[in-house]
Amino acid sequence: MPERLANKLKERRAELSLTQAELAERVGVTRKTVNTVENGVFTPSALLALKMAEALGLKVEELFWIER
Amino acid sequence: MTDRETSAAAERMSRRRARVLPILAFAFLTQQAAYFSGPGFGTGDRAVDHVRISAWLVMSVVLLVVLATGGGWIYGREVRRIANDEATRAHRDDAFRWGFIVTISAALISYVASMYEAASAQEAIHVIVTAGMLTALLRFAFLERRAMRDA
Repeated sequence: MPERLANKLKERRAELSLTQAELAERVGVTRKTVNTVENGVFTPSALLALKMAEALGLKVEELFWIER
Repeated sequence: MTDRETSAAAERMSRRRARVLPILAFAFLTQQAAYFSGPGFGTGDRAVDHVRISAWLVMSVVLLVVLATGGGWIYGREVRRIANDEATRAHRDDAFRWGFIVTISAALISYVASMYEAASAQEAIHVIVTAGMLTALLRFAFLERRAMRDA
């Protein structure tokens, strides 16, 4: 089974009552980028993953993990 | 401009671009149809032929620059930076990859076809550029629209 980068962006966003647009604004990307990362369609760079984790108050490894 | 306004402007630019690209692709294709349906495939010496070929050249260059830079030049630098974020750049890279494959394939097919039916360099270049450009434009538009779905 191929490896993929799983995440709990959606759950964490919901916990913080943040919309995709608000998270996008915090990390300086468009809403579609947040959407594609959330859905696992797009694998973010280390820089973006770190920015997202920071914006959501988590460590990057708590927000993203490898699913095998 | 506040961060919120900049983000909103980038969002608008991104959506507008995804909507406009297929229309530009259709306009470009229509222009090719006019070229190939014209007398002597537009290679004539009439003023209208020169205008038609010049219009095609200008449109090809504009579309290439839009694809390479992301367009939206009326917006500020920060808006364009956000609208051309890393997912958009990845979509553009993928569109260029598809465009390259189709361009080379069209060139090879034109080469083989020229063994059976003579074609001028202008005709071959029109076919090759159109195939590559349309593929890249449509692929970029498709990826952008898919990413926006449910966003």
